[in-house]
Amino acid sequence: MRVLTHCLSFGKPRSLIGLWLGLSGLLIAIALLSLLYGAGDVGPARAWQALQDLGAAASYDSEARFVIAELRAPRLWIGLVVGAALGIAGALLQAVTRNPLAEPGLLGVSAGAAFAVTLAILWGADTATLRVSVAQLGALGGCLCVLAAARLQGIGNDPVRLILAGAILSGLLHSLSSLILLYDQYTADEIRFWVVGSLAGRQLDDLAPLFPSLGVAALLTILLARPLAALALGEHVAIGLGHHPRVVRLLVIVVVALLVGGATAAAGPIAFVGLVVPFAARALAGPDIRRTLWLCLPLGPIVVVSADIVSRLVVPPSELPLGVLTALIGAPVLIGVVRGRRLPTF
Amino acid sequence: MTSPVDTPNAVRQDKYYLALPLGQRAPLRVIVDKRNLLANLLLSGLLILLAGVALNTGSAASLSLPATLRALLGDGSPLDTFVIQELRLPRIVAGVVTGGAFALAGCLMQTVARNRLATPGIVGLDNGATAFAVASVVGTGISLAPPAMALTGAAVAAALTFGLTGRIGVRGYRFLVAGIGVGAVFGAITQLMLTRVSIDAANAAYPWTVGSLNARPDHAVLSLSLALLPALLAGIWLTRSLTVLRLSDAVAISLGIAAGRCRMAALSVAVILTGLAVAVAGPVGMVALIGPEFARQLSAKNTVPVVGATLAGAVVMVAADLLGRVLLAPIEIPVGIVTALIGSPLLLWILLNPNARTAP
Repeated sequence: MRVLTHCLSFGKPRSLIGLWLGLSGLLIAIALLSLLYGAGDVGPARAWQALQDLGAAASYDSEARFVIAELRAPRLWIGLVVGAALGIAGALLQAVTRNPLAEPGLLGVSAGAAFAVTLAILWGADTATLRVSVAQLGALGGCLCVLAAARLQGIGNDPVRLILAGAILSGLLHSLSSLILLYDQYTADEIRFWVVGSLAGRQLDDLAPLFPSLGVAALLTILLARPLAALALGEHVAIGLGHHPRVVRLLVIVVVALLVGGATAAAGPIAFVGLVVPFAARALAGPDIRRTLWLCLPLGPIVVVSADIVSRLVVPPSELPLGVLTALIGAPVLIGVVRGRRLPTF
Repeated sequence: MTSPVDTPNAVRQDKYYLALPLGQRAPLRVIVDKRNLLANLLLSGLLILLAGVALNTGSAASLSLPATLRALLGDGSPLDTFVIQELRLPRIVAGVVTGGAFALAGCLMQTVARNRLATPGIVGLDNGATAFAVASVVGTGISLAPPAMALTGAAVAAALTFGLTGRIGVRGYRFLVAGIGVGAVFGAITQLMLTRVSIDAANAAYPWTVGSLNARPDHAVLSLSLALLPALLAGIWLTRSLTVLRLSDAVAISLGIAAGRCRMAALSVAVILTGLAVAVAGPVGMVALIGPEFARQLSAKNTVPVVGATLAGAVVMVAADLLGRVLLAPIEIPVGIVTALIGSPLLLWILLNPNARTAP
């Protein structure tokens, strides 16, 4: 119990709780909007009526009911899970690399997951569970590659070069995936819609295999929050406080791989969410990683679900891929962070 | 009293001086290093050899060497002549000019930015040009020819990246990351346009998304070829200033070189070349990294191998296209994927190798 209270304690509790509640309220409103608005024929008024009918046994508008329960609700749930996972993964990765630019999508973690899934489909894998674990293994591989390269050559302290290494690795994995898709028509068909990064057409069943690994990741995150906050003060301080920096780093990498791999398996590679969300959380809550993590929990879903709503509304009746929208939001933030004075220049 | 430049015989033996006979202050006076000359001759030979092999190889018909030559000169069988002159030769020409253009642009940009990783592809130029070229193909209301559109796109991307990171020639990696951001935005815009149009229009725009030399439009090849020669001359003319600029602005200014104007000129040439090359072949940006690197290994130290980089880029492009055609035949690998597979490890090596990291 004492561990739990420690983990959940903040510097200034009242302001953070107020902020958290406000963001959660915003998230609920956005979730409701995501049920009401869509690219199809069912407008907000019909959807609202059908939502009220959902509680009652009898429904007058079966089409609206179908659209909400079978199409929009699964998207919403997956958006919530994916957003939270990507946001928290970004915050953790940024804390452990001490690099405000470290983003799973840019560092090659998502590309690793995507490449692993492509390989798995090429070799005949089909079940959803396998795909999740494969994506998580790929994410782990991508993560380890970039970080190993960084530590080996001592560019770990150089945020901008680390990102460059990640971008190059992503490019390499991406072209390897393209090569496989070119070679194997079946894989290409299977993966064409998955690889853009989108919430469309996903079923709730796709989400079920994620929960065990995401549960493990959540538990580990709660346990790691305090050591990470100590690590932010410096390696020696963390050791002095009784933590083991190496173990903490390794576990964080595993958690990031679980979260990003799971999110990628569910929605395809989505870049920049892991950059934008922790950035916003830090701007709201200050540098403490525990506060950042708490705020990422509502902020990640807010970003992903609202981007998903926009992706449905811009060009009805067709949809934009979600990954495109997050790139449009995220790239300006990236440039803003790079221009910031606090980054070391090399 | 004369300076060493005016009396070539007084300086080291391994340099030659070429000057147009226009008197003491000839506008075009070029220092030619013996080793660079040898390197360029070697690269030219390699290019001719590769072009010959590429002409002779393919899936359509296996031609003997004499038959290839006869078809090239126009008195072979009609089928052979068609295959050689209509299919393979334009493709090789497109490969040579795009490879040369990409690599020359890369060489100039790397020198200006004092960073070996600063190629037009990384700084977002390729993606900008691609986005605009795709916009013209899928017909989003703007009706310029793809080359002009791609040129505009490259210029916009360059203005954005350099405008966002401050003045031109900022040392360091910061503007590379800004370039990645700009490139990501343009990549997203390209995706966005491709999802909005019909499948036919999307297929027409496909080469611009991966980089391919298959059946490229003639007018784009022509406009690139027309631009390449003046660009190369401009590059040669800029070589001396650029060589000094690699040291520092202070040295350059004290030697009477207008650093700002020189950078702007080199950058403009790079933007024009990248835009036109993307209009032909799509974003094959890695050639801009591999070509100059290849040339630098062969050339004399401490020079800016402008001509060598152009030749090496053409060699790399033709070789990569040939590889893509034969490697998984009958499936054809787009040249953009081949160069990315070769170039990415090279890029990582440059980034991680402490000795290779410094300015070009």
